[in-house]
Amino acid sequence: MFVYEKRLQYPIRVKTPNAKLAKLIISQYGGPHGEISASLRYLSQRYSMPCPELKAILTDIGTEELGHLEMVGTLVYQLTQGLTPQQLQEAGFDAYFVDHTAGVYPVAASGAPLNADMFAVTGDALADLHEDLGAEQKARLTYDNILRYVDDPDVRDPIRFLREREVVHYQRFGEGLRILTDKLDSKNFYALNPSFDR
Amino acid sequence: MTEAESLRRRYAAAEFAAWELHLFLDSHPDDADAARKLKEYREKSARLKETFEAQYGPIGQTFQNTSRWAWVTDPWPWEKEAN
Repeated sequence: MFVYEKRLQYPIRVKTPNAKLAKLIISQYGGPHGEISASLRYLSQRYSMPCPELKAILTDIGTEELGHLEMVGTLVYQLTQGLTPQQLQEAGFDAYFVDHTAGVYPVAASGAPLNADMFAVTGDALADLHEDLGAEQKARLTYDNILRYVDDPDVRDPIRFLREREVVHYQRFGEGLRILTDKLDSKNFYALNPSFDR
Repeated sequence: MTEAESLRRRYAAAEFAAWELHLFLDSHPDDADAARKLKEYREKSARLKETFEAQYGPIGQTFQNTSRWAWVTDPWPWEKEAN
């Protein structure tokens, strides 16, 4: 069950539209290291996770990622408001515009639409947690790369907030991995699959 | 910044602090200090939410102190006016 709050996790008010930036930032909406992939990955991995702490971490982080998806969608929306087809073309946004006008659709900056191949649910707690740690780092580096192109403080500020959340989530997943391995055979963590073997 | 914006941001800040502690406690369930702080921020954010909703309109879907119509007509989170 999910309950919606009618607010962003961190406020966004972009004064100057900039479709060039929207074209890059949309990658965190539907790209390979984006927020919807993150949310689906964690919320789907929950079912086969063995310890209660890990079920809680995946549920909570997977939920927060939905809030981040809303923030990224908001950035794309506000950055593309009030522009003419001509201005959108000059910004390189015309190919997207032909298919989606000024709607917000989950694609990568490179144009590939959202694909579940971008994440895994292996049903093996150790493999899933290592994927989650990697995913947080990949999201962090994508925000770092986006920040290289952003001068506008109205956009930098929320992107920096999102970047920081990836670092915190990485920390929580690291602790989760430790909680799990503390319960396994320290001589061979891989003796069994703690998600499957009883 | 208007009074409504300032109140909304104070609510969001208290909620964020509470969320961060909630997440921290997932991997540190025995941390009594963090649990105490979480209670403080939850109380603070509940007070701010009630004040905001009574004056300006609903934030949550379970609002009780404000107009039903405002849920539909107030700005949505992705609109600049809501931030």
